[in-house]
Amino acid sequence: MNPKRPLLYSLTILTLLLSACGAAPATEVPPDQLTGTLSVLDWAGYDQEDFWVDFKNTYPNVTVNFEIGISDADIYAKMAAGNQADVFHPYSGWLQFYVDEGLVEEIDTSKLANWDKVSDFHKKLGQINGKQYFIPWDIGFSSILYRTDKIPEGVDSWAALTDPKYAGHISMWDDGPGAVTVSSYIHGYDETAITAEQLATIKEEWVAQRDLNLFYWAGEPELQEGMRSGDVWAAYAWQGSYALLLGEGLPVAYANPKEGRNSWVGFYGIRKGTENLDLALKFLDAKLAEATGNNVVNLFYYGHSNQDVMKSVTDPMLKEAFGLNDPDILEKTNFTPNLTAEQRDAWTAMWAEVKAAP
Amino acid sequence: MTTTPSLPHFRKKLGEGARRVGVGRGLDRRATFWMLYLPPLFWLGAFFLIPLLLMFAFSFRPDMSGDFFRLWQPSFNQYSKLFATGSYWRLLGVSTWMAFEISIFAVVLSYPIAYFLAFHGRQRAGFYLVLLLVPFWTSYLLRVMAWKIMLGTEGVINSFLTYMNIIQEPLTALLYNRNAVVLTLIYVWIPFATLPILAALQRIDVSLFEAAADLGARPIHQFLRITLPLSLPGVFAAFFMVFIPTVGEYVTPLLVGGSRGSMYGNIIQDFFTKAANWPFGSAMSMVMLFGTLVLVAFATRLINLRDLLE
Repeated sequence: MNPKRPLLYSLTILTLLLSACGAAPATEVPPDQLTGTLSVLDWAGYDQEDFWVDFKNTYPNVTVNFEIGISDADIYAKMAAGNQADVFHPYSGWLQFYVDEGLVEEIDTSKLANWDKVSDFHKKLGQINGKQYFIPWDIGFSSILYRTDKIPEGVDSWAALTDPKYAGHISMWDDGPGAVTVSSYIHGYDETAITAEQLATIKEEWVAQRDLNLFYWAGEPELQEGMRSGDVWAAYAWQGSYALLLGEGLPVAYANPKEGRNSWVGFYGIRKGTENLDLALKFLDAKLAEATGNNVVNLFYYGHSNQDVMKSVTDPMLKEAFGLNDPDILEKTNFTPNLTAEQRDAWTAMWAEVKAAP
Repeated sequence: MTTTPSLPHFRKKLGEGARRVGVGRGLDRRATFWMLYLPPLFWLGAFFLIPLLLMFAFSFRPDMSGDFFRLWQPSFNQYSKLFATGSYWRLLGVSTWMAFEISIFAVVLSYPIAYFLAFHGRQRAGFYLVLLLVPFWTSYLLRVMAWKIMLGTEGVINSFLTYMNIIQEPLTALLYNRNAVVLTLIYVWIPFATLPILAALQRIDVSLFEAAADLGARPIHQFLRITLPLSLPGVFAAFFMVFIPTVGEYVTPLLVGGSRGSMYGNIIQDFFTKAANWPFGSAMSMVMLFGTLVLVAFATRLINLRDLLE
């Protein structure tokens, strides 16, 4: 045996121990030197840099790959089928299943520097079973958008979408849960506890409405074109379309229906088991930052969950679109509740039957 | 002394040689066969057959819950729901009938074009063929959207009729209904339907016409007794080429069909993209696939396609 060997071992261990003790505590890589690839499953248009400008500027060497989903159902089905996106973007109503199916990671909000700028009300909307699984991001209304030159008397109820006076000039959103929501407002049903009888009534009404409806819109450009051409007089719409058409000088108004407007929130979630958890949290935090929020508001006319962003809105047209002039707007607004898997299946099947009806 | 080999001996030798050559050729052929067919077979298997089998398996899934690729207890849940919903069956019937109408119109309108190209195009036939295929150079969506510009309330037809004082208010019945879907799809399919008919017409031996004329057949008789029967394989190929994809069509109804223009394919698409209900969408697809196959099998038997092709 070589007598020098134990000495050599001891020296090596000592050196390792010393270097371990002497090393600085794990330092964060400077943001501009951070590298990596993040995959985001988002909606068409949200891949534009305006929507994630803070992340792009802070982490210029991180590559963000976007995959596009065409609807909440599409995004959910993709995630359920094992899509490997690190971050995904569901909307109100479509959150519960991600948690039930174990597809979403609980968010450690202590790692989000901008979290304090989000209101408690909106934070709560991203909680399922008391845990913060989602961060709220874009916010909007749904109501009836109408042409004031074609409907000078104005619109004050969701029932306008089923009013024979506007036959051939109505456009409903192509969405089963959306249709159930509208009917619930009209009839005063409890949206969270629609019975089979109520659903049958809702179906009958929408089958009858089909003769009044020009087309069901799936994407906003289609609806906006219909409003511009004068073919559509009254439509289920999000306020982004209202702000856009108003900005173009089109004679349009956005109803404050007596049953209340609908409000929805877009959320970001992190895929359970992602290897990019740290990067995903940084992405979510940057999504809440000011420059990104300002772009959401000023370029795309949607609200943002960062309260500082909303407080800084001065454009009268945007204030009108967001209802910021109306202090009671939130009291008059109905927030979309989360669907259960059974409701999702029943309501979407009801809508398919409406479209397939003779 | 040399002996001349007997004839049977010679034949035997020849046979052995031929067999040897045959074996060699067999190997070459086999290698060539696999080289040529393996890539498309792999492609079809990986991207058509396996997804189709997966969809078949999915149609027996009770619902969307749980891991997607775990084994599940087969269930007829989706099929029983589908069988209980009359409106889907009715819509499948409507879509089949629309596909039939569209195929008939597309073939009838394509035939004169193909006839012209085959017999009267002369040196310019190639140029005319290119003209016919020009629409393929633009996107399908663009061509369908062009029909919106034609049929819309502020579209070409309405503007012209208003300008001519024929109508005072624009016609709203032109767009956003099933007729608009039929009209647009006939237009989309005409170039496709022309090609197989043209191929069949070009195969006809022109000396048959000379013989018929010598025997006193007038042009109409020549057409009915020679051209039409000999071009029927192309006509049927064109018909099925239009019919089969049209039954499941969903893009055109989405764009020009309006609230009442949905076809069966739109409902399938909805279950995949708007309902997150892949099992039910799969069951609907399987029913359509099976239905179309049965119809085509029945039709080919009825018209005895094999005899026609021979």
